[in-house]
Amino acid sequence: MSQTPSRFQFKSPSTAAALALAAAVMLVPANFLPVLSTETPGRDRNDTIFSGALELWRHGLWAIALIVFTASILIPVLKLLGLGWLLLSVRRGPPRDSRRLTRIYAALDFIGRWSMLDVFLAAFLTGLVQFGEFSTVQARSGIVAFAAAVVLTVLSTQAFDPRILWTPSPPVSPKEASP
Amino acid sequence: MRPDAHLTCRLCGQDHRPIDLAPGEKALCTRCDAVLATGKRFGPDTALVFSVTGLILALPAAFLPFISAGKLGDERVSHLFTGVESFWGNEMQWVAVLIFLCGGLLPVALLAALAVLHAPAFFGWQPVAIRLLSRSAHHLEHWAFPEVQVLAVLVALMKLGSLVDVTIGPGFWFYCAMSLCLLVAQHSFDFEPLPPVQSTAGARAETSAP
Repeated sequence: MSQTPSRFQFKSPSTAAALALAAAVMLVPANFLPVLSTETPGRDRNDTIFSGALELWRHGLWAIALIVFTASILIPVLKLLGLGWLLLSVRRGPPRDSRRLTRIYAALDFIGRWSMLDVFLAAFLTGLVQFGEFSTVQARSGIVAFAAAVVLTVLSTQAFDPRILWTPSPPVSPKEASP
Repeated sequence: MRPDAHLTCRLCGQDHRPIDLAPGEKALCTRCDAVLATGKRFGPDTALVFSVTGLILALPAAFLPFISAGKLGDERVSHLFTGVESFWGNEMQWVAVLIFLCGGLLPVALLAALAVLHAPAFFGWQPVAIRLLSRSAHHLEHWAFPEVQVLAVLVALMKLGSLVDVTIGPGFWFYCAMSLCLLVAQHSFDFEPLPPVQSTAGARAETSAP
């Protein structure tokens, strides 16, 4: 018996799950491989995302350290956990708390872009700090894995269609909210 | 106004009949509370004005010096795409392309899409491919991150403070202004297919009474 192959749909829970899983895999090298190396007279160091944030903290730049930690470690992890929760909720059938899950999706969609901070930061530093033997910053392989993880999480969020959290209903007038 | 005009919530798919909105007022989805449309504070042409301004600002942002750094008499000037060149030369071509797209090309493409979407209503032209442009703008929105690049540069400046002497160049300020224009233009656009020219003169048709 022959079966008609199903057409690939980008917006589907299975695509979102596959992309989220790929992003989770990429986050491992992204967090364990160095993303930047800094060479200054008498001191060469390779930094992972975490050690970079820790170094900022040690230098008293707490606010910056928190921004880097949130954007580069917390957000990707939270995003993957959130997507996993949404995908599991959909798998169990029509969810009861659709409104809350939709809000979680909207939040995940909004925060995802901020993970690109470390990629832009690495690009900016490697482009600017090239002073030969006095001071040089180079990008390392961890940044490639991290950029891949960011792209995959953004794609995963886009592949998840939040409308599947709801059942269709007839048109109504929207609510009005004061500014 | 088109009698069949309706607002569809992007998050839950609920269809709504359009209503009138005062400036600053928001229309919320009855089902998931997402913001469907916002009453324009600065008039119906806000998105057009800010998207065209953003496009103009993008030119000096791309070509003027971003940041200059000096150490022991040696000075290095960085432009918007210096990091892209650095990654490209470091065998990380696809990351270079990603940075070029998200920080440079796509924000400009989004500004251009918003300008083209709103220009017909302002000039009284016949709109072309509104639905396609609106969808493109919606997709571009997910990949245009100029505000993240601005934050990254600010973080880098703090980080570089102890390593080298840094000076902020005019390109960075133009880029900040362009990012701000894009945010305002995006915020003023509801990503719904726009109605015909006659309907958009004055109040936005998708927020008018049924």
